[in-house]
Amino acid sequence: MIFLLPAMLVLFLTTIYPMLYAGYLSFRSYDLAKPFVPRVFVGWSNYQQVLTSGDFLNALSITFQLMVITLSIQLVVGVGLALLVTQRLPGMGIARTLLLIPMMISPVIVGLVWLFLYFPELGYLNYFLSFVGLDPIPWITSPNWALWAIAIADIWQWTPFIMMGTAAALTSLSPEPYEAARIDGNTRWQVFRHVTLPQLKPVLVSLVFLRAIDAFKIYDIIFVLTKGGPGDSTEVLSLYIYRQSFTFWQMGVGAAASFVSLIIIVVLITLFFKSLNRDQTA
Amino acid sequence: MSAITLRSVVKRYGSVEVVHGIDLDVEEGEFVVLLGPSGCGKTTTLRMVAGLEDVSDGELSIAGRRVNEVAPKDRGVAMVFQNYALYPHMSVRQNMEFALRPLGLDAAEVDRRIQEAAGILGLGELLARKPAQLSGGQRQRVAMGRAMVRTPDVFLFDEPLSNLDAKLRTQVRLEIGKLHNRLGTTVLYVTHDQVEAMTLADKIVVMQNGHIEQVGTPEQVYAHPNNMFVASFIGSPSMNMIPARHEGGRLRAEGLDLAVPSRFEGKLPEGQDVVIGIRPTGLQRAEPGAADAVVARVEVTEFLGNEALLDIRVGDHELIAEIPAAGRPAPGDEVSLTFDPSVIHLFDPQTGATLSR
Amino acid sequence: MNKPSMQQAILVYALLGIALIVFLTPIYLIASSSVKPSPIMFQRPPAMLFEPTFEHYRDLFTMRPFGKFIMNSLMVALGSTAFSVFFGSIAAYAISRIKHKRMNDIAFWILSMRMFPPIAVVVPYYIIFKTAGLLDTPLALIIVYSTANIPLTVWLMKGFFDEVPRALEEAAAVDGHGLISIFWRVTLPLAAPGLAVSAVFCFIFSWNEFLFALMLTGSEAQTATVAVMSFWSSDAVQWGRIMAGSFVILIPGVVFVLTCQRWLVRGLTMGSVK
Repeated sequence: MIFLLPAMLVLFLTTIYPMLYAGYLSFRSYDLAKPFVPRVFVGWSNYQQVLTSGDFLNALSITFQLMVITLSIQLVVGVGLALLVTQRLPGMGIARTLLLIPMMISPVIVGLVWLFLYFPELGYLNYFLSFVGLDPIPWITSPNWALWAIAIADIWQWTPFIMMGTAAALTSLSPEPYEAARIDGNTRWQVFRHVTLPQLKPVLVSLVFLRAIDAFKIYDIIFVLTKGGPGDSTEVLSLYIYRQSFTFWQMGVGAAASFVSLIIIVVLITLFFKSLNRDQTA
Repeated sequence: MSAITLRSVVKRYGSVEVVHGIDLDVEEGEFVVLLGPSGCGKTTTLRMVAGLEDVSDGELSIAGRRVNEVAPKDRGVAMVFQNYALYPHMSVRQNMEFALRPLGLDAAEVDRRIQEAAGILGLGELLARKPAQLSGGQRQRVAMGRAMVRTPDVFLFDEPLSNLDAKLRTQVRLEIGKLHNRLGTTVLYVTHDQVEAMTLADKIVVMQNGHIEQVGTPEQVYAHPNNMFVASFIGSPSMNMIPARHEGGRLRAEGLDLAVPSRFEGKLPEGQDVVIGIRPTGLQRAEPGAADAVVARVEVTEFLGNEALLDIRVGDHELIAEIPAAGRPAPGDEVSLTFDPSVIHLFDPQTGATLSR
Repeated sequence: MNKPSMQQAILVYALLGIALIVFLTPIYLIASSSVKPSPIMFQRPPAMLFEPTFEHYRDLFTMRPFGKFIMNSLMVALGSTAFSVFFGSIAAYAISRIKHKRMNDIAFWILSMRMFPPIAVVVPYYIIFKTAGLLDTPLALIIVYSTANIPLTVWLMKGFFDEVPRALEEAAAVDGHGLISIFWRVTLPLAAPGLAVSAVFCFIFSWNEFLFALMLTGSEAQTATVAVMSFWSSDAVQWGRIMAGSFVILIPGVVFVLTCQRWLVRGLTMGSVK
């Protein structure tokens, strides 16, 4: 117990206290631009403002859109890559290592290099696309494309994560069911569908939850690429909170929005732990 | 003064009691083996003596001193663990040094003790190696060396041979015996292997379900088991058990009719239900015309070299007999066997207790 | 799994080749653009062969105090790593060793601390540090990063401590060692790989972080990630300098992947995949 206390204390002071403080703020009118106006108790009005404003609902919707787009593509491509790099062929170890590099790069740098690629007129991506006969795409200047531009950068960075987790799980699978399935004369697809996939499921569920929880944190890439624009077409929750708090200086409203997103995260985290526990007991 | 004394020692985990108030005295210099099937409480008992488990109730003393509340390090014991528990990041020498460090000896004495232990156990060449570079038998010896250098009052062994292959086990067993003869230190040794217990122990403590079933020398527990559990647990193959009834000086069962051995005469009431216990070696081919011969059908024979085991059927009882291999019958043969009356045991079928005393 | 046939092998290599091009081109672009002279930066077709120039790197360190920002990043990352690994590993030891049904709840509570979106607490942090006069100091970032790094360390180290056999600690206890001595001389050395992995993850997380650094620092304690972004906001975009700065920032992460990828899985999934 003596060992546990210091860390608990540190975590309490550094996380619980700010959260409680955020809770306190969310019930106050707190305008940083007017430092001498008293911070009065305003009841649920900040929450009311958040939950009834189109901006917040738009941010929530965009966050989920981005989550669904990136997660589904990352899952399919990541599992596919994992199946490739776990083949018993020379050079697979190096390929696997090289593919992991994007994950460890600072998201700001990821944003910057994709900005370099997307950049209107100058960016290389449209130049590359012209080789396959595609017209230039207004990646970050059109509301129709901006969310995709962000999704691509996120997919680029985090597909390796799914690949890595899946590959680790694949290599730890017991070979016996495969040998049995081969002797029984199943096709490759049948073996994958009925032998591999069910065994991978617990790991995939964990990986997807970890990504889903992270999807609520996405900030840096969007900040660099679009700052939430054009318009509010890429304004996810974290950008919305940022804008309320630091552009409009409405700290109370920002805190209320933070708390609403915290509740969503808590639900996701609880589901994640449930899935972990089920694996352990199964 | 006993080296170790347990008085009504109880171990509970929450509301589950796993050791039920056992009493035991281990004398100075004695080699005592706790023997029983897994889950019988023998390892828990050893760990209570080591101080790795709290004593829930009762009193535990080492060298006359109550140690219930004494930390393991202050009990003057050394322990050899089932998986040896060698520190993998330390060399053999460092493993022993680490065990000596709390004693605060000077460097010369530390070195002397390590050299002495290495000499006795033949570890001289291995002192610089890491545990990963040692074979199973070598690791076992290092674990003993690490216990030895502390010159404890009591050695504790927790199934020390269970990870060795059969051949090595016999060899290390001999070494442990020799070591005990040489050092004369008190030993408390846990095993589920009755051969280890028989060969090493001065005194065997047979345990089952958190109770002590019998305490005695190997000869006593083998020849005079207190009850059916001890009788069937000790000895291999197990003792044959046949439910029977005492009727007019005879023991009768399906296909069986024996005279009551003379030592039981007058002790058995008429009509008493009994269980006849006889070891496979107590069944032998009958001389022609022998009294009380039993006719049995041979189902399987197992050739062991000098001896053969016969799986036989008498009435509806399946028994095992161990006879000289020469001239053994073939499966399907009928043989005539006698029960050696001097090694017949009788037990009470209700309590399982022996009727021999 | 059986060995693939010739055709299958060709297919595998072809698909992996495409994947490698897709995933490595942006990194190649950072490296090559950082040494590409400005006039040919956007030349079509892209200049593949050119005389490398170090002017962007020179500008980085002479026209801006980028060296200072790197030092800030280092100081914050090392500070938070030391702090987190110390508190995190002793907490992990307690969680690993104390058998109590509430322990799991505590462990999950600690883990959940890492999963909350940073933006949700950036406002309170801003106000707290402003009140305490800690805005624009490395200490503020060390504290904030530790809230993410301690949970990570706790979870990683718990896994490593769980793998140290109890019997070793019991052996040391019977041999006369106390709690601290056992932890320090037996358990911790055996969990040393875990300490290294935790430290590297804490370091890279802190080194790469942007949001808090942006909000909580100004010109004094600014870190490299924030500084490199500031080349963007000036009148003309200094792509050469941005790429040079980016390249410097991505070095630790890439070195980590190339040297110890086998620990990545464990670190990034908080031990839920081993």
